[in-house]
Amino acid sequence: MQHQLLAQPAMSVAKLTMQAGESVTCEVGAMIAMTSGFNVETTSRNKGGSGGLAKGLKRMFAGENFFLNHFTATASDQTLMIGPGLLGDVMHYPLLGNTLIVQGSSWLASAVGIEIDATWQGFGKALFSGEGMFWVKCSGSGDLFLNSFGSIYQVDVDGEYVVDTGHIVAFDDTLQFRVGKAGTSLVGSILGGEGLVCKFSGQGRLYCQSHNPPSFGKLLGPKLKAR
Amino acid sequence: MISIACPHCQKRYRLDDKFAGKKAKCKGCGQVMSIKASPTADSTATLPSQDPLAANGPPAQNQPHTTPDDAAAVPPAETAAPITETTSTATPVSAVEPLAAGVPPAQGAATDNNFASVGSPGGQPGGAPHQPNREQASRGEASQILRGTTNHLQYEISQRPDFSIVKVEIPQGRKLYAEPSAMVSMTPSMHLEAGFKGGIGKTFGRLLGGESLIINTFTAQDGPGEVMFAGGAAGDVAYHRLEGNSLYLQRGAYMFNSEGVEVSGKWQGAKGFFSGEGLVLLKASGTGDIFFNSYGAIVPIDVTDGFIVDTGYVVAFEESLQYRVTVLPGLRTAGKIKSFFFGGEGLVCQFAGTGRVWVQTRQVKSFLSWAHNYRPAKSN
Repeated sequence: MQHQLLAQPAMSVAKLTMQAGESVTCEVGAMIAMTSGFNVETTSRNKGGSGGLAKGLKRMFAGENFFLNHFTATASDQTLMIGPGLLGDVMHYPLLGNTLIVQGSSWLASAVGIEIDATWQGFGKALFSGEGMFWVKCSGSGDLFLNSFGSIYQVDVDGEYVVDTGHIVAFDDTLQFRVGKAGTSLVGSILGGEGLVCKFSGQGRLYCQSHNPPSFGKLLGPKLKAR
Repeated sequence: MISIACPHCQKRYRLDDKFAGKKAKCKGCGQVMSIKASPTADSTATLPSQDPLAANGPPAQNQPHTTPDDAAAVPPAETAAPITETTSTATPVSAVEPLAAGVPPAQGAATDNNFASVGSPGGQPGGAPHQPNREQASRGEASQILRGTTNHLQYEISQRPDFSIVKVEIPQGRKLYAEPSAMVSMTPSMHLEAGFKGGIGKTFGRLLGGESLIINTFTAQDGPGEVMFAGGAAGDVAYHRLEGNSLYLQRGAYMFNSEGVEVSGKWQGAKGFFSGEGLVLLKASGTGDIFFNSYGAIVPIDVTDGFIVDTGYVVAFEESLQYRVTVLPGLRTAGKIKSFFFGGEGLVCQFAGTGRVWVQTRQVKSFLSWAHNYRPAKSN
């Protein structure tokens, strides 16, 4: 599978070129266009693997869809174009046996060799991290595509690093994080507009997004007509 | 070495001597140019890349505020790249890849090189994508300026693809027809007149096609004129030259056209009913230039062998293509239509034949359904 990222960073899409027999699993609704030599299959499981009802439900809680779409090329040089719904970037991450924890709605597509599973982050984190209840755990090896709201930047964490809630895209599972207050006093942190933050520790890579959808939504909300 | 510049978009190439006398397709604008053996005048001396801004800054990224007046003085984005990089991008016609092989990258161009280095699968072992490189490579492609000259006008599409804006220059006496509110600014030599165009039938056809009843006519009355046009949403603008053939435009995609082009509504029948995109497509035909816009970037795709596009992402397509609206193939026949109901891909346009399709990379619908969640609830 070869890929190209087009129209970055705001209108990004990933163009995948696949050979016969190659297969990719995509988020529901991600397909924009494709050549005619694809077989499309909708299931609640990972391709050819485990899963089923429980995993589908977990995915739902993680902000993804219950179902997954599998695209399998039936001829050589087939092209598939996928992209996220909102404005933002797409990132390619080659997974090589390691594990990446992806924020619920940031997962876009992954190759067959990658096992995707929703993981529970613990009650405190779920409630206060500003992210979903569940995270998507990607392990195995192959191409992984993530999307963000706004642009994505990478941070090499060695020791500690602080990210505002809602801005996490993905991080290596070698990192731990806990939710804490930004300043020394809770009142001060809240008045400062930063409220709670995610504090990472350990060693590994962290990917953040420049914007977060809830902030934008709260900006828009009051100006929209009541439903 | 031969040094040439594309006569249409001024993109420069350096080619081996053996290509002298041959013809090549410009990677920038797609026009065919002939390669003349040039006297060995040192080509680098003539490069506009000597502009310090263009030479040092990241390409294209930092030339945002080109006002209409000095826009012409700013060198095209791609010349900021070292000339050696663009060398390989002018392919002699004899060796040109068939125009329609698979999906060519958006506006092709010098970026193939960039993508080859950053877009290869795998990357370095243990390595995650290297952000800075990626940004630069993609920025270079994204903000490439498209320009061209036709019988009717001269155009330049810049700030692509996020905030595309078109600058059009027309000689005295010429006209442009545009949808209301597309105009951003213009020189005082332009005269603007709003009115119905093309009689009752065409006017209502446009209305059904999601466009306004009114068409603004811009006439260069007192000397040559210049108009800037932009779309309503953040997104891209694409250009197409009609030579007697027709182009279908999705609801709301129409922006403006030159003389010689007729824009009318075309009833799509059941196809339109099921596509969820409106019953009527706009049909542009004649001989002239047409510009259309999108939400998101526009990716042109040359179809030779069947192509499938989600209905919400079609911007325009050539009349030479047949299309039908269907659920994803392979699911119908097997009696499984699960993808249709649960797969979220809904309905797709299945194209057949040979021609070009323009696809947008985002759809307004997705944004709206997301924003809907933030609407306040009615208080009672």
